[in-house]
Amino acid sequence: MTAGEVITVTIRRGGEHGAPVPVDFRVPITGDPTVLDLVTAIQRDQAPDLGYRFSCRVGMCGSCAMLVQGRPRWTCRTRVSLVARRGRLDLAPLPGLPVVKDLAVDMAPFFEKWAAAGGGFRPCESGDAVLALVAPESPARRNADAAIECIGCGVCAAACRVAGAEPGYPGPAALNRVWTLVNDVRDADGPRRLAEVAGPGGLFTCHSQGACTACCPKGLDPSRSIAGLKRAAVLAALRGEP
Amino acid sequence: MIRLETDILILGSGGAGLFAALHAKAGAPEASVTVAVKGLLGKSGCTRMVQGGYNVAVGPGDSVERHFLDTIEGGGWINDQDLAWKLVETAPARVRELENQIGCFFDRGPDGGLHRKAFAGQSFDRTVHKGDLTGIEIIGRLAEQVWARDIRRLEDHRAIALLPDAAGAALAGVLFIDMRSGDFTLVRARAVLLATGGGPTMYRYHTPSGDKSCDGMAMALRAGLPLRDMEMVQFHPTGLLAGPGTRMTGTVLEEGLRGAGGWLLTGGGERFMLRVDDRAERATRDIISRTMIEEIRAGRATPHGGLYLKMAHLGPARVRAEFKGMVERCADCGLDLAGGLVEVIPSAHYMMGGVVFAPDGSTALPGLFAAGEDTGGVHGANRLGGNGVADSTIFGGIAGDTMAAWLRDASGFREPDRDLLDQAAGRALAPLHRNGAGRLADLRDRLATLMWDKVGILRTGRDLADAEAALADLGAELAETGAGSASPAYNPAWHDWLNLENLILVSRAILLAAQTRQGSRGAHYRCDFPEPGDLAASSYTEVRLQGEVLTAANRPVRHTRVRPAQETGR
Repeated sequence: MTAGEVITVTIRRGGEHGAPVPVDFRVPITGDPTVLDLVTAIQRDQAPDLGYRFSCRVGMCGSCAMLVQGRPRWTCRTRVSLVARRGRLDLAPLPGLPVVKDLAVDMAPFFEKWAAAGGGFRPCESGDAVLALVAPESPARRNADAAIECIGCGVCAAACRVAGAEPGYPGPAALNRVWTLVNDVRDADGPRRLAEVAGPGGLFTCHSQGACTACCPKGLDPSRSIAGLKRAAVLAALRGEP
Repeated sequence: MIRLETDILILGSGGAGLFAALHAKAGAPEASVTVAVKGLLGKSGCTRMVQGGYNVAVGPGDSVERHFLDTIEGGGWINDQDLAWKLVETAPARVRELENQIGCFFDRGPDGGLHRKAFAGQSFDRTVHKGDLTGIEIIGRLAEQVWARDIRRLEDHRAIALLPDAAGAALAGVLFIDMRSGDFTLVRARAVLLATGGGPTMYRYHTPSGDKSCDGMAMALRAGLPLRDMEMVQFHPTGLLAGPGTRMTGTVLEEGLRGAGGWLLTGGGERFMLRVDDRAERATRDIISRTMIEEIRAGRATPHGGLYLKMAHLGPARVRAEFKGMVERCADCGLDLAGGLVEVIPSAHYMMGGVVFAPDGSTALPGLFAAGEDTGGVHGANRLGGNGVADSTIFGGIAGDTMAAWLRDASGFREPDRDLLDQAAGRALAPLHRNGAGRLADLRDRLATLMWDKVGILRTGRDLADAEAALADLGAELAETGAGSASPAYNPAWHDWLNLENLILVSRAILLAAQTRQGSRGAHYRCDFPEPGDLAASSYTEVRLQGEVLTAANRPVRHTRVRPAQETGR
């Protein structure tokens, strides 16, 4: 797609209660727009009440993700010229989450799973007078850093077939967070967290297909994080730990 | 209309809102605490977008007093010194809390202690950070703590009015639009925190998230509260200039690029900052932004009307390694930051001004508290990089403590003034039943151009007078324009209209304050009054809305802790 061409954008429109209907919009291309720019142009010029989300515009908030040509992506950092095919672009809401309207979803279930998996730091009782000394190149820091920069955009969960089929499965983002906390020397529970996610429907539900890693816009590797959790959980079981 | 009750209601889910929620719940575990946000919890707003870091005086040889003086000097001596002191004094404890209680894992130095980097305008390296994505670490960790607690969420709920009781004695509640259904929701609360953030998105080039529209300040004005320092709008020198049709335009390329030795060039490829300041590209944000505009107005601009940022002379490999996030962001726009030239333009970044408030978070309206970018006074005429996220998390936490204590003395739930409620609902509904959505984008463009051209980085009395008339026209035109769709459920055009209404009101407040300050301090530069005036006799501006009319006054700054004459003894 280059400036001056007209692209046909198919958007799956509909709310929580209505069956979604594909609607075509024809949009003239100016400059080198992102998918978010295109959706914005459609909303402004053709469909004022088109539901979609965005906030930061630059890949920091993780609210604009949707299915672009069937694949979950951030729309703010995805240029149309790289994903459109034969003058067409297909957009749909992120799967696995309730649709609020059109392209906007309710992300609460994603974060509920995050919380249920224990995806939150637990402070030590020792109080807060001093900070932990952790050398930057130490294994403790490198392990905690490996998966820390997740922004919670939901792309990995949308890409994961297991998460789509198993409602109780925490999903790659939540498990990625738990792995970071297992490796965080400052966390009160650290490795004891393994037992919380190793049960039925938990981390062993993962089939290691790697769709999460393939789709992560941050270049993180949730698949590796889950593999780390599995390995640690197996070792803990061999040692007879709960 | 849905009616809800909560002991504590928090508007906004940035650093201020989430910290307030955690502190309020800790201080009053039996109380019901609700966080309402116009998007998704923790995702809307700007704390998340913080790149640089968090100023805190914890290094050997540094002191709270030095941090304080840097903040006051940076603020052009018009800060409320008690607020600034509260900021610097609380910062060390808040950073420990972020690390040890919330779980933020800031970067470490070789000794394993907190790594602190250098930031412009500071006498000491005191900016604690997590790479160049500090805000994501802070908000990510805060949000997961909120999710783990018994704190109610009202996501996709847009606040439209702060409602006092019929006697006007205290705040009774807040009227919302549930954006998903389009229904009104009235939430009565015994204490309310205004923490929606500022966000000067009324300027053509701006850095904040696109959903920011000064909603908190607009609601505060309509509730009769005074706003101070509204003329003080900070522009970040290196906003990305990627053309008019993309939302990427205006977003920040971080300050560290210039700190590391990046150059700013004219359209003809010439460095220009050396002529103006010995520090060249490392001068403060206000000086660089002004010089850039002068270069652009002198006709030395790039094809898109900005200037070039060049990093390649530092070695593309080094730039790629040190500024991975920025290089990738530019690459997504098809631009080569490491090896080529990237067009940049100063971009409206932060509002130093806002609601007048006390160090404990209270405001002139009993029951209403405020924190973060909605407030004014902490930063005076100019905010130091790294003091912004400190502000929101520190004053958010303090407000949470204060509200928890307030519940012990406060009366029960009050009933909002029925007339004010009906008026607010009627005003919000009006655009749904008028046509003309196509004109909304045009109106927004014209507002952005007007504020950029006439109320921007270089101001004159004549431009401000022109803008006053033009803003009044835009307001009248908006009142005749509709959302273009009568559907109330998740209708972005309706909310664009409401955003524009707030932006125009707050633009009027900025303009009036800029007319009122006939002198140049910090971010505010009047070409017709270029001198700062007597620092010892400093004043600050205060704007109020009375009916439909904005009024302004100059008020003396009380130098309660340090006076300008004492500065040289440092």
